[in-house]
Amino acid sequence: MSKTRTLAFEIGTEEIPAFDLKNATEKLPTIMEQALSDAGIPHEDMEVFSTPRRMAVVVRGVAEETEALEETHKGPSAAIAFDEAGAPTKAACGFARGKGVSVEELEVREEGGVEYVFAHKSVPSEEVSGLLGSVLEGVITSLPWPKSMKWGTEHALFSRPVRWLVALFGQDVIPVSFANVGSGRHTAGHRVLSPQGSDIPCADEYEKIVRSLKIIPTQEERMELICAQTKAIEQELGADHEAVLPPKVLTEVVNLSEAPQALLAQFDEEFLKVPEEIIVDAMLMHQRYFPLYKDGKLTNRFIIVSNGDPAFADNIIDGNQRVVAARLYDAKFFYEEDLKAPLERYVDRLDEVVFQEQLGTMRQKTQRVKQLAERICLDAQIGDVESGKVARAALLAKADLVTNAVIEFTSVQGIMGSYYAAAAGEDADVAAAIADHYRPRFAGDDIPQGLVGRIVALADKVDTICGLFAIGQTPTGSSDPFALRRAALGVIAILESGVDVSLERTVEEALRIYQEEGVSLDAAAARDAVLEFFITRTKVMLKDDGIPNDVVDAVLFARVKEPVTIIARSRALRTALAETPEDMEDLSVAYGRANNLRDGEAGALYDAALFAEPEQKLASAIESARTSVAEALASDDYPAALSHLAALRAPIDGFFTDVMVMDEDPKLRQNRMKLLNAFIAVFADVADFGVLASAKR
Amino acid sequence: MRLQSFWASQGCVILQPYDNEVGAGTNAPATTLRSLGPETWRCAYVQGCRRPTDGRYGENPNRLQFYYQFQVLIKPSPDDIQQAYLDSLRAIGINTDEHDVRFVEDDWESPTLGAWGLGWEVWIDGMEVTQFTYFQQVGGFECSPVPVEIAYGLERLTMFVQGVDSVYDIVWARGGDGVTFTYGDVYLENEKEFSQFNFEVADTTFLFQEFADREAECMRTLEAGLPIPAYDSVLKCCHAFNLLDARGVISATERMAYILRVRTLAKACCELYMERVVGMEDGKAHEESTR
Repeated sequence: MSKTRTLAFEIGTEEIPAFDLKNATEKLPTIMEQALSDAGIPHEDMEVFSTPRRMAVVVRGVAEETEALEETHKGPSAAIAFDEAGAPTKAACGFARGKGVSVEELEVREEGGVEYVFAHKSVPSEEVSGLLGSVLEGVITSLPWPKSMKWGTEHALFSRPVRWLVALFGQDVIPVSFANVGSGRHTAGHRVLSPQGSDIPCADEYEKIVRSLKIIPTQEERMELICAQTKAIEQELGADHEAVLPPKVLTEVVNLSEAPQALLAQFDEEFLKVPEEIIVDAMLMHQRYFPLYKDGKLTNRFIIVSNGDPAFADNIIDGNQRVVAARLYDAKFFYEEDLKAPLERYVDRLDEVVFQEQLGTMRQKTQRVKQLAERICLDAQIGDVESGKVARAALLAKADLVTNAVIEFTSVQGIMGSYYAAAAGEDADVAAAIADHYRPRFAGDDIPQGLVGRIVALADKVDTICGLFAIGQTPTGSSDPFALRRAALGVIAILESGVDVSLERTVEEALRIYQEEGVSLDAAAARDAVLEFFITRTKVMLKDDGIPNDVVDAVLFARVKEPVTIIARSRALRTALAETPEDMEDLSVAYGRANNLRDGEAGALYDAALFAEPEQKLASAIESARTSVAEALASDDYPAALSHLAALRAPIDGFFTDVMVMDEDPKLRQNRMKLLNAFIAVFADVADFGVLASAKR
Repeated sequence: MRLQSFWASQGCVILQPYDNEVGAGTNAPATTLRSLGPETWRCAYVQGCRRPTDGRYGENPNRLQFYYQFQVLIKPSPDDIQQAYLDSLRAIGINTDEHDVRFVEDDWESPTLGAWGLGWEVWIDGMEVTQFTYFQQVGGFECSPVPVEIAYGLERLTMFVQGVDSVYDIVWARGGDGVTFTYGDVYLENEKEFSQFNFEVADTTFLFQEFADREAECMRTLEAGLPIPAYDSVLKCCHAFNLLDARGVISATERMAYILRVRTLAKACCELYMERVVGMEDGKAHEESTR
């Protein structure tokens, strides 16, 4: 092993976007690792650093020289490698070229009684310092960016302009060049705390020097620091105070500063009259401030995270307070303006907002959702009073989209509508439903609390899914701009919560309403695609619940389309599999066997007169199972249906033990086939046990 | 004034405001058209901007339907441009050492100009005072070399420097005799009247006709091979569209159609400009595919 040195590499940039930086920082070690190993450079562990203006990696124990290698590769046999005249064939030439040696250098040796050609190559040791330049240039270009740009007269692409490079191998600068920026040992400092920057004498001192510039060089550390500072502020205010730090905003804040400092600020209590949600939106979404709560109620205090000089904290707090005051002034102004007209007045203006270009405006969507929601109420036999509320809530659900407050603070959609509805004297259930109908808004979010909200949410989501499927805007891969997958899961969860309507029928209704409105679509194709989409979502959901796909597939065999049924049956089948594994396994083996033997064309009308005893037993068991399974399914008792099928286990086993299906007499054979067909037919409405059988093996 | 002399000292041509309604300093030809092509270009100018839908009848302390931007455009973007920008803040009396200045990701896109760029909004103590953008594409053309645009919100900056909470309280001039003119003295009545005009009074039939006429005029001018005057018609179309939007007579679906019509014109102007002025024969727009 040759001597080693530490390698320090820093890419200095203009401010990189927070999330892109996080993502690239996570990828950096893998990229560096790959680059070093591709170049055959032995090294030990590495450490990654990043701030908005720099990404760096320090690799320890980097060898000064690569190891010399003696490589031998076995090639084709000599018989293939040389022709009769002893000249090398194409095969030999190709092999030699592939291994980087000349044909003349190929050696012939015997191995296991056959002569083969061998390529022997000595790869000499190389100075690592000479290799690193191109390795590091490769690292720069390998960093992944969702969006990249050019600058100046350069053609290179990066997230934001690269302004300096530090590349040190021990004490030596490794020449690296990217977009006309050459490497050196100088790193820039913090914009105000250490604007002069500093030279770095050797790679080992990289971290120390950066820290001496008052820069906190890792994301983790900045995050811990911000959390600790926030905690300290909470404690200072009293134990009942709590700051809310949503992970997304925290990530942003962490990557918006090189030396974060949490500061306490406040706004005029007067603004607390404005709904909490707008204030929080203004602070979090627009300014990346953390709101402070006392006993769960929003206070007029908040936390800002500064990247400035702590010596001028008062200045910074004062400036930020003025910004918040202006924002909240806006919010209050918007809120009060919005309140001047009842919420209903805004419904007509929804024709200014597009839902989707081909599917019309939000006004049209509102109409459709209302109609669909009313249909759902009828189907689910909801009482008149509730139905009235549903229709009202559906009419008003989107009205707040054209209110000033929501245009300005988009995250409060629904919530503002709910406030405005209450202020306009709407029923409390209606107001709650307006806020709730967007639920579930994210994975793991609750469904709407009340029935009114659930039905409006159901109608809204089914309308969206059907419309987009009808025009072919289905989710693909990671692209799901209308969040149809989440909407589908929401629909399933709402149906499961006890809103007793058929999804298939609701989907057909939704598509019919689109057609009535004049949207041209292939209703049958769209319906099938939507139902298929729901089945796939159901499967994914069940898989997350630990129910394997084959169980769901077995259930789907019975042509069930309703997610609620699929879910209930899959769960019941899994329970049966877990509780009576022998019955189920045996049954699935027998089913599989019967299924293999049966002859679909023979029909199931067997002649009982030709039966011997085991056949007779099976036949009567089938007869009684057919009736009892049908009854169980009619009363939605799937577990009972399964146990009725389980009762077939003994007779079918007996049949296979005692009876030879493939009898020589074609008449008997035919009749037994029919019996097996009848056996299979009983399962048709319950589950495909064959899937389970094949999955077992 | 001090911004002007600062950027003049950086080698920028100081222009006077463009005498046509624009929604942003970016839309003035000194930025849009001059972003194109390989020549070096450096300019700075104050630009009054009209955004009819932002009118608040003078009742909102931060929002105006007419406001001023200070626009800087430098092509190719210099290596030390961020520092130069920070220095410009010092030049107008903001000691950046004593404040928290941040560059917060903000990507810019103008559907009507077929343009986009990457950059930041600059915050001072949480207040957004500047848009800082490296143009990547204008009028469907890849920018090469890349220009950098710095657009200061002059009212915001002045409010910050003077420490006032309402734009109307900004002191615009104070004579030796103590006679003072505030922003409100100058523009409050203007805001009230224009808000009413934009939202309630502007004649929509006339505006629809104006849009169509200007569109035709633009094409005619293009056929005559004059991209710069043709671009003036694009700006007129934009303004007519913005007024119609404020009057609330453009439905959502029509909206897209109008934007597309403006973009088609803007692209055509850029294309002809590339051919005529820049002398690029292969003036084929790269569309947005390179994004």
